[in-house]
Amino acid sequence: MRKIIQVKCSLAAALIAASLSAGAASAADEIVIGASLPLSGPLAGFGSFQQWGYKRAVDEVNKAGGITVDGQKRPVKLIIRDDKTDPNQTAANTETLISRDHVVAMLGSCTPVLVNAGALVADRAKKPLVTGCDPLEAFKSVRKWNYVWDIFFDEPDLANAELKAVEESGAKTNKKLAIWHDNGPDGQVVGGKLWPEVAKSFGYEVVQNAEFPVDNQQFTSIIGEAKSKGADVVLVDAITPQAVAIRKQMAAAGYTPKVLNIEKGAEPVQFAEALGKLSDGVLVGGYWDPSFPYPDAADLAKAFESETKLSSSQHIADSYAAVQVLLDAIAAAGSTDPEKINAALAKTDKTYVVGPVKFDENHTAKLPIVALQWQGGKTVIVWPKSAKAGEFLFPLP
Amino acid sequence: MPDPGVALSTIASGVLLGGMLALAALGLSIVLGVMRLVNLAHGDFLLVGAYAGLFFFEVTGVDPLIGLPVIGLLIAALAIPLYRFLLQPLAERGAEAQMMTMFAVAIILENAFVLAFSADTRSIAVSYAALPLTLGVVTIPLVYVIGFAISVVAILIVHWLVSRTAFGRDLRAAAVDPEAAATIGVDVKRVRMLTFALGAACAGVGGTLIGTAFQFTPASGGAYLLNSLAIVVLGGLGNVIGTLFGGLALGALQSLGGLALGDGYRDLVGMALFLIVLAFRPEGFARGQA
Repeated sequence: MRKIIQVKCSLAAALIAASLSAGAASAADEIVIGASLPLSGPLAGFGSFQQWGYKRAVDEVNKAGGITVDGQKRPVKLIIRDDKTDPNQTAANTETLISRDHVVAMLGSCTPVLVNAGALVADRAKKPLVTGCDPLEAFKSVRKWNYVWDIFFDEPDLANAELKAVEESGAKTNKKLAIWHDNGPDGQVVGGKLWPEVAKSFGYEVVQNAEFPVDNQQFTSIIGEAKSKGADVVLVDAITPQAVAIRKQMAAAGYTPKVLNIEKGAEPVQFAEALGKLSDGVLVGGYWDPSFPYPDAADLAKAFESETKLSSSQHIADSYAAVQVLLDAIAAAGSTDPEKINAALAKTDKTYVVGPVKFDENHTAKLPIVALQWQGGKTVIVWPKSAKAGEFLFPLP
Repeated sequence: MPDPGVALSTIASGVLLGGMLALAALGLSIVLGVMRLVNLAHGDFLLVGAYAGLFFFEVTGVDPLIGLPVIGLLIAALAIPLYRFLLQPLAERGAEAQMMTMFAVAIILENAFVLAFSADTRSIAVSYAALPLTLGVVTIPLVYVIGFAISVVAILIVHWLVSRTAFGRDLRAAAVDPEAAATIGVDVKRVRMLTFALGAACAGVGGTLIGTAFQFTPASGGAYLLNSLAIVVLGGLGNVIGTLFGGLALGALQSLGGLALGDGYRDLVGMALFLIVLAFRPEGFARGQA
């Protein structure tokens, strides 16, 4: 009952907020764009970084005088709404952004569950939406997109990265591998389909493949089974609260595999902050690092850390790049007409802070993957050799 | 067929965890028993305890379990004005008005947690939280054993308070028939206020234990509220010792569900049990009130 009332209250609050902001949003000289983000709920760790990236990119454009549309320089207004990590709220927020805030285009939320919920609304309303934070296979599996564009990594690359890192480091394991994944769209793609195939191709025996709900808290029997089967390598796909729970419960169950990879949930710095030394040695796939040789990469991380006094996250980069791609398209279109903006997005071909961005026929632009490892509270690139910034810590402490 | 060591470890862990959750559920149970109020902010009171334990540890460096009495008293002290100024004025308007007020408090608290502490996942990183305890083929988290022991002691103290003291006598009288209790001189308003504070203290102390054993976010309260409700229904409304056995039963049955169907089905088993008991034995398995 509480959940139902909470949803109703959220909707009511969103409607009130929307009607209050509608007047301001309609100012003729502003180019209004919007985003729904998980600023609360389990994915808030991602949302806070994205919010910073979105705002930073918009602020920079406005400081430079705005965007020329219809022959006139106009400032950009960014409206962000909290979706509370609830896909229903993401869809409702996207409706609100379109119908009440009169946005000309939008930016995505985070993770396939949330991004796709908003993207479907945008696509049907024929409003362009540019997103990061949505792995490409999960994005492509929804539908043939017309107005939504995704800049992120491809799951097969991610699925390969960690085992390649292990194999190329020369680390010896018993080749027994356990897979634990949530039942979200990307969890099912990575854990249910790709990891078993990749493990087999590297000669591993998959001794366990366990699926659990996204909000699961207890992993006692999953951990016990992997321990009893002697898996030296554990691959996990889970969001941050579950990632923290899993690592803590593994230690409390006396189970320390030689390799532990936690995708998604081990990425934000709060993972290491919540776990302390227990985070050391945990691998996670990465698609961006300040050391990458792309425009403004190092400066972006420095700006974030200096402003927030927090360690940076790769999500500041994909969100920052998504805004730049969208605003470049609006500038190239020279118009706020959604069709013209969409046509300009299709022609994107430029190197941004995340690397070269050029969309394919599926509306996706793929970012290369590296293997990161938590070491002393910071992530270090341990694979591939060309980008390596530190030694691979093996076995897991 | 799971490995015997895995099965025994899982069931033992579940029972210990159930005992730990019973303390938090006890707060909900006594408030429900005396005030007829389903405190929808109970899960968020639990989070106040978890955050209090976290910051107590970070600021003082002292083990949060040593600070439990302080944390319990602090949360009880915070609950008193909440009752006095929000719930007491609504006492004559029925339980629904108070329940909706506490629902509003829950929303306010959740948003206050986000504003004050960010929406990050937190955990009280004491060293023993990640240590295993191995007894033959059974391996259980040491922190579950510690949390269980503290929870049982705290529940026994509440039981003593309710069954052997003047306050407990007044509490039981107010729970059974508040009007009759008032005619024989029981200050029902005061009893309800102290009961609400006691319930909040139980939630807060339980929250510190849970924050030590697990992780939490500002949105975690709802899940713990549901678990607490299931324990209260299993153990019998307002029944202190019954709540402990309700927690143990829920923990054991959820573990069996996890073993048979997978860890992802623990909550399903718990909630199915909750509905079955509610339908066929709404008074719970343990009869009698506080």
